[in-house]
Amino acid sequence: MAERETVRITGTYALSALGRGADALLAGVLTGTPAFTPVRRFDTTGRRVTVAATAPDVGTLAGELTDAIDRAVRAAGLDRAGRAGSALFLATHGGPYSLPVPQGWDEPTVPALAGHLAARCGLRGRTRTYTTACVSASSAVADAAALIRRGDLERVVVAAGYLVEPDQYALFDAGRALAADGAVRPFSAGRKGLLLGDGVAAVVLESAGAAARRGAESLASVAGWGRAGDAYHPCQPHPDGLGLARAAEAALRRAGLPPEAIGYVNANATGTPFSDASEAAALTRVFGGDAGRLPVSSTKSVHGHALEASGLLELLVTVLALRHGKLPVTAGWLGPDPQCPLDVIRDAPRPARTEHALTFNAAFGGADTALLVSTS
Amino acid sequence: MTASVPSPPRSCTSGPGETGTTPAEGAATARWRNDGVVVLAEARWPEAGDEGAGPAGVAGFVHSPFAPLVAAVAERCLARRYGTGPLPPGNRTAVVLVSAGGDTAGAAHVRATVAAGGRIGPLFFFQSVPNSVAGHVAARWGLDGPVVCLSPAGDPRAEGQAEADLLLYDGDAAQALLILIELAPDGTPGEATAVLLGEGTRQ
Repeated sequence: MAERETVRITGTYALSALGRGADALLAGVLTGTPAFTPVRRFDTTGRRVTVAATAPDVGTLAGELTDAIDRAVRAAGLDRAGRAGSALFLATHGGPYSLPVPQGWDEPTVPALAGHLAARCGLRGRTRTYTTACVSASSAVADAAALIRRGDLERVVVAAGYLVEPDQYALFDAGRALAADGAVRPFSAGRKGLLLGDGVAAVVLESAGAAARRGAESLASVAGWGRAGDAYHPCQPHPDGLGLARAAEAALRRAGLPPEAIGYVNANATGTPFSDASEAAALTRVFGGDAGRLPVSSTKSVHGHALEASGLLELLVTVLALRHGKLPVTAGWLGPDPQCPLDVIRDAPRPARTEHALTFNAAFGGADTALLVSTS
Repeated sequence: MTASVPSPPRSCTSGPGETGTTPAEGAATARWRNDGVVVLAEARWPEAGDEGAGPAGVAGFVHSPFAPLVAAVAERCLARRYGTGPLPPGNRTAVVLVSAGGDTAGAAHVRATVAAGGRIGPLFFFQSVPNSVAGHVAARWGLDGPVVCLSPAGDPRAEGQAEADLLLYDGDAAQALLILIELAPDGTPGEATAVLLGEGTRQ
């Protein structure tokens, strides 16, 4: 068993309203221009809010996931045998199709979707499907990393997808979760809520040994991860951020790093008043007096909330930011909120003077995750 | 406004013979490792005496028996181990909810209402993901471990136990409440099982 095996990221791909591919994602989050426009994909008549961050010319979710997996494994340089030796962990919403499928098309619903994608892409390892709401993708990454570190698996492709569609849109609108002013303002005074956004992404994770044997370039490492629960409420986070703080502490412990080693946090911050304040409290619990000096941003203000895929999209943002040496912007800032005493990156990207960053995600049910990315 | 026309399905064939490749038989039958857990308590719905009665409703959850079924079977299982609860803080008990179909009754109602141009009640938003009722159980019993929901393609109990095994091995959980639930095809209460799993002796 390969205990303490380092977990490498060797291939990535992402689609969002910022464009297709890692370059488009990075350019978009560094520019910091929100991608929210009136929804034209389906009818929003009667909805309280009518904007989202949607990519043009998207296919079905299964088609886009197939494309994302293919591009990620190609980027990782995997040959046919390498693909065959890969497991697939999928993060997506459970239940029926999330977008209408043209008549005559035979596309599988969850849970058969993962097997369908694996077959199409030549991945012959085991599959697993996560439907853990907004921590689906980050939970999949954490589990994949744990299984690689335990020596159970050598390589896992983690894929995640959400395309803005009428059912979830109507639900978020009915729950008054969407920002009525058409902007996402994480940690800011006057924040009104979240906005939805497309996100389809895939990441190849593999053991350092496997990557080295085939001469694959390591983009970064998933050096730590943590998952915890609030035990507080079906839908609201604990006001003191207890679960998120414990997830972050677990990620630091697994990485063997002290809090002061972290130089950037890609926050979950959705722009929701209660949730952002809870996350600020979690950051204060973990980083103490340094929390107010730690660069933090939430790129949901630019690409929107990709729900089950958000954790993977934001992991990619974090990896790209560290490698490029620039930390992304938080859009929508109106002014400081005393409940969120943080160093929020706004106006312009900041130089990344760190090799280690955390990316947070939180979900209904008090589910919290933290992933620790290292480029060293 | 109408839905945009999707582009053709993409294939990720990189060479001859890869399209439609069926996962290798070995992978399809491979078992997740789950030898590190032992059963501490177990309950089912229905059990003897449940005939004809549905599970009690849960405040804040409407229309569908999904949440009541999860809450009932979880309550029954945890009560067998802990009486009335809740557990003390720091128990690191995970909630692992495994359901292939999920809340089919709730999803069907939302789909039909949206398709008809109607308005959905706000409570449907709060119960739109399986995390919500998992969080309800966690809050009721003070379970402060991870919350994980899976949609299994194979044996749900094996897959759920493997997830619990990993969380215990990894240390984020000290024990796990595994809930297996499927509604009946007509959306009425089906069957549910709850199993409290603790750490066993690893091979």
